[in-house]
Amino acid sequence: MTAYGTSRGPYRFWRLMAVGLRTHVLHLSRSGVELVMAVFSPLVYATLAVYLFRAGDHPDRLLQAAVGAGLMGVWSAVLFGAGGAIQEQRWMGTLETLVSAPTRFSLVLMPITFATSLVGLYSLVATVVWGVVVFDVPFAPASPWLLAPAMLVCVVALGMMGILMAATFVLLRNANALANALDYPVWMFSGVLVSTASLPQWTRPITWVLPTSWAARAVQAATGGGEVLRPSLVALGLGAGYVGLALIALVWVERRARSAGTLTLT
Amino acid sequence: MTALTRALRLTFHGGGLSYRALFNWTTPPMFIGTLLVSPLFQIFFFVHVGRTLGVADDRFYLLGNAVLATSVPCVYGGIMAVANERRYGTLGAVLLSPRSRGLIWGGRVLPYILNGFVVMVFMMGAGSLALGLPLPASALLGLAQVFVVAAASCALFGLALGALAVRIRDVFVISNAAFTLLILFSGANLPPAAMPHWMSAIGSFLPLSHAITALRALFDGGSTAGIWPSLGGEAAVALGWAAVAYGLLRFFEWRSRANAALDVM
Repeated sequence: MTAYGTSRGPYRFWRLMAVGLRTHVLHLSRSGVELVMAVFSPLVYATLAVYLFRAGDHPDRLLQAAVGAGLMGVWSAVLFGAGGAIQEQRWMGTLETLVSAPTRFSLVLMPITFATSLVGLYSLVATVVWGVVVFDVPFAPASPWLLAPAMLVCVVALGMMGILMAATFVLLRNANALANALDYPVWMFSGVLVSTASLPQWTRPITWVLPTSWAARAVQAATGGGEVLRPSLVALGLGAGYVGLALIALVWVERRARSAGTLTLT
Repeated sequence: MTALTRALRLTFHGGGLSYRALFNWTTPPMFIGTLLVSPLFQIFFFVHVGRTLGVADDRFYLLGNAVLATSVPCVYGGIMAVANERRYGTLGAVLLSPRSRGLIWGGRVLPYILNGFVVMVFMMGAGSLALGLPLPASALLGLAQVFVVAAASCALFGLALGALAVRIRDVFVISNAAFTLLILFSGANLPPAAMPHWMSAIGSFLPLSHAITALRALFDGGSTAGIWPSLGGEAAVALGWAAVAYGLLRFFEWRSRANAALDVM
C-alpha cells in the first residue's frame, strides 16, 4: 500500500496537488509559447468571433462569441499543455524520474493537466474582458451567479480529460502531431463557438462523449440562457470517466513504454 | 564547375539539404497531423461556422483556408530554416561561409514554397471532395499561379521572422503569434465587407490576403489574366518581405559577430 492509502494519505495527496499545481502554473507562466497560446491567440480568436457574429447579424450574441473564443483557448491550453508537458519532460530528461518515483505517475500527471486548464481559464476571462472593453459587448449573462461555477466546472472537466490525453501522450513520440490535429475537430464537435445542430447526424456520438461539449454548453447557457446544472454534471461525470480510463491506460502505457524502451525517445 | 553551376548547386542542393536537416515536421506523423489534417479541419470548422452564422458560403471558406494552409509549412519552415541552425549549433559554421548570403538563405526558402504548394493542392482537392464543390479544369492554371505566389510570399515572410532567430532565443513565440494573426488579417475567414478598414490595411501588407482575393475572383468567373493585378500585389508583398528578411539577416549577423552572441542559447 502506498502512503496515499494510509491515514496521512489525504494530506499528502492534497499537498502533492497544491505543490504540483503551483510548480506547473509557474512553469507554464514562464513559457513564451504557452503565453502566446493562453494570452494572445484567444484575443485574436475573440476578435475574429466578434466580427463573424456581427457579419452574421447576431449582435445580440456577442457575449457568447467572446465566451466561445475563451473556451477555444481553454481547450488549446489543455491540449497543447498536456501534450507539451509530457514532451517537455521527455526533452528535459525528467520523464523517467517521474515514472520511476514512488509517487504514482497518475498523481504526478494530475497537477500538470489541471495547471494547463487553470492557465486556460485565463483565456476565458481575458476574452470576455476583451469583448467588453474593446468591442463594447454588454456583460449581461443570463445566469450571473452560475457563470463562475460553470467556468470552474469547465476547467475541472477539461483538466480531467487532459489526464487521459497526457497518459496516451506518454506512449507517443510524436504526441505533438496528434495535439496539432485535435484542435479544430474538438472546437467543431463540441460547439464551443457555434451550435453543433447543423453538423451531420453521425457526429452526434462524438459530441456526446466530449466533456468539452457539455462544459461549453453549461458556460454558454450561463451566458445566454438555458440549463446550466445538468450539462455541468454530465461534464464532471464524463471527466471522472476519463480519469478512470486514464488510470487504467497509465498502467498499460507505463508497462508498454518501459518494455519497449520508448520512454525517453524524442 | 562554373560560377553559375556553383550558385545553382548552393541554392537548390543546399536548400534541399537544409530542408531535410532542419525542418522538424517531415516525419510522417508530424507531416500528416500538422500539415494536412489540422488545416483540413480548419477548413471544416470555418465552413461550419460560416453555415451556422450565415456569414458566407462553403466555397468562400474553402478557398480562403486552402490558401491559408500554406502558412503552416511556410511560416514555421522559414523560421526553422534559421532558428534550428542556432539550436543545433551550426549557425556559426553557416555564417563563416564566404558564399553569398542571398543564395544561402534564398535557397532555403525554395523547399518550403514547394511544400506549401503541395499542402494547398491537397487542401483544395480534399476540401472540394468533402464539401462537394466543383473544381473546374479551366481554373487550374490560375489556381497554380495563385498557389506559387502565395507560397513564395508566405515563405519569405517566414524567413523574415526566422531572421529574428539570429538574435532572439525563443523565436517560436513569434511564429505562433504570426500564424494566428494571419488567420485574422488574411481575409480567409471574414468577408471584405465585414472587415474594418484598419484590418484590411494591415492585411494588405501581410502575405496571403492578395492571393486569397485573386483566388476568389478566379472562382467568381474571372479570367486568369484578370487575377494578375491581385497576384502582382501578392508578389510585391513577397518582394517586400524578401528585402526585410535579407536586411535583418545581414544586420543580425553583423550585430552577433560584434557582440560574440551568435551561439549563445
